[in-house]
Amino acid sequence: MNSALMRYIIRRGVQSIMLAWVATLIAFSIYQAAPGGPLQFLDDDPSVTSADVARLERLYGIDRNIFAQYVSWFAGEDWLPANETWRSGFCLSDQNRCGHGIIRLDFGKSFLFKGESVIDLIVERMGATFVLAFTSMIIGLLGIPLGIWAAVRRGHWPDHSIRVLTVALNTVPHWWLGLLLLIFLGGFLGLVPLSGMQTIGDGSLLDRLHHLLLPATVGAIGGWIGYSRIVRFEMLEVLNQDYVRTARAKGLQERLVVFRHVLRNALMPVITGLSGIFLLALSGSILFETVFSWPGMGRLAILAINARDYPVIMGLFVISSVLGILGLLMVDILYSVVDPRVKYEVIA
Amino acid sequence: MAEQTLPLSGRLAQSTEEFETITYWGAVRRKLMRDKITLAAMALGAVMIIITLAAPWITDNLLGFDPTATNLRKRSDPPTWFEAGWPKFEQFGFTCQSSDGCQWALWPEIASDAVDGLRFCVNADLGECHWLGTDQAGRDVLSRAIHGGRISLRIGAYVAIVSMTLGVVAGLISGYYAATIVDDIVNAVIQTLGSIPDLFFLIILLSTFPFLRSPEGLAITIGALGWMGISRLIRGQIFSIREREYILASRATGASIWRIMFQHMLPNVASIIIVVAVFNIAGAIIAEAGLSYLGVGIGPPLPSWGNMMQGSLGNFTNAPWLVLAPGFFIFLTTLSIYLIGDGLRDALDPWLQN
Repeated sequence: MNSALMRYIIRRGVQSIMLAWVATLIAFSIYQAAPGGPLQFLDDDPSVTSADVARLERLYGIDRNIFAQYVSWFAGEDWLPANETWRSGFCLSDQNRCGHGIIRLDFGKSFLFKGESVIDLIVERMGATFVLAFTSMIIGLLGIPLGIWAAVRRGHWPDHSIRVLTVALNTVPHWWLGLLLLIFLGGFLGLVPLSGMQTIGDGSLLDRLHHLLLPATVGAIGGWIGYSRIVRFEMLEVLNQDYVRTARAKGLQERLVVFRHVLRNALMPVITGLSGIFLLALSGSILFETVFSWPGMGRLAILAINARDYPVIMGLFVISSVLGILGLLMVDILYSVVDPRVKYEVIA
Repeated sequence: MAEQTLPLSGRLAQSTEEFETITYWGAVRRKLMRDKITLAAMALGAVMIIITLAAPWITDNLLGFDPTATNLRKRSDPPTWFEAGWPKFEQFGFTCQSSDGCQWALWPEIASDAVDGLRFCVNADLGECHWLGTDQAGRDVLSRAIHGGRISLRIGAYVAIVSMTLGVVAGLISGYYAATIVDDIVNAVIQTLGSIPDLFFLIILLSTFPFLRSPEGLAITIGALGWMGISRLIRGQIFSIREREYILASRATGASIWRIMFQHMLPNVASIIIVVAVFNIAGAIIAEAGLSYLGVGIGPPLPSWGNMMQGSLGNFTNAPWLVLAPGFFIFLTTLSIYLIGDGLRDALDPWLQN
């Protein structure tokens, strides 16, 4: 590994840390700017007096200045001075109830799910999102053979029909296609379950796969479109290279040229990017999870948003931002390590 | 691109008859006129625009329904022409789920019911036939769909304007001042906006600040989070033409920066801007549908293609027309936009193709 590459990786790393920090700032500013504040829902309750509101504000530490609130949310309040300016009421009365800050993965406690810690709620649902994203990605990889086929038979009917198909699939929201398939395959024909991850009381693998089938297939549409286009483009690029011409000139069978010389080089960028793209997908697909009532992070996000559960909203925002930033970082690093042609100096 | 104009006027064109003067835009128009698919797509797009513009007239004089008037006696009714056939169709679905297999014998009945229904609907008076059924509050779905098109198309156009303006200005400036602090700042903003989960961010913003849930507010919010791609594209283009002779010449004559940017550089990236703007409209329509479906976009009673589907959330299997109708309108609109965009992309590159 040369030093220019090393410098590039370090710079991208530092940049990513900065970006993640900015994401925490954004999450925190939304919470601060929310009209009426996080306790606004109390206004709807006539039995709540202003003294009650003040007491709750003290308990949750909302009465502190913005800086103190940010520091205790970001880095924890247990190390801050033990007075009302710096610590929340909970923390002052009981050492065990001090926040440890999001950098120590303490996102506080949820309002909606009383007493549950935000990070537990998120981790609990990450598994479901993980399963759906992973299966979607695997099914989405079918786009690669489509792209190869389109490139090899360029200008003929496979190329044209794949192009028409991808354009057509792009013209409707994919979650809407999911809704349609759910109505007809699930509602009318009863072939697939209407919602959820498993039948209650039945945790068998077959039942889970049955529930996964439609959401994962619909989630894969984006992959089919994306991969078939990228692979076709890369294939055509490689097919024009001198070494492919050489391979043909020395009398190699077309099949061998494609599989041995072209494919290896054309697929490299796609395969390299997969891990990072997966991390990006992990940040949750809110729309798919809503359509299929999939109990993942996206569903949690909608529940939290509707209930104005700010600790959960902020936690989800920061975690999905960090996952996305890590994904992009991984793609960039893997590309520059794998492909020596990638330039890692800033092109002025 | 504009600099590639072939000014075959002057002596050469006058001396030889077969040369005619073609400007860049002339060549584009000529190429578009020959492209049947794009012309058809433009016609489809024009039809969609006319239907939505004439929506109040159509609902008053052709359908006879107020798109916001509720009728609690007619909640989630199937399309009037399919009213008799619908229970049989549902029954058919049930038989398919049972062990006996589908009861295909129901189909002749379903078909004849549908034909009778259609005959009734064609001859019906104003306000008697719901062509696409009613929603969960008894409002006419077809009237809402064509009124919803006004909102959805408006948002599409607004988003394109907002994001193109932001993207073009940011791209021009960062391309012109490439590798300076200005460029770095623009890049930092782009990186930040590009690294946050945009749909989630939009949902949070819209749910926290309800005043953004108007067509204009939505357009500004979606547009403000969607200009980064175009800015990068423009920056690259500007960067490559920055050192061309005509820019140098204009700089030498003392032209102001703004004059150079908007008079000399902008026309060179106009074709890219047009194509991206067209695709942007389609993206915005789809984004609006998603947001309104989740309940953070346009709120009822105002109809939009997305929030019509939101109403279907609870009973979409019993009333699939609530999902089908707005989706089909989205499909027609975005299809025409994509095809127009594709055609424009080819046409705006006339020299390359030949």
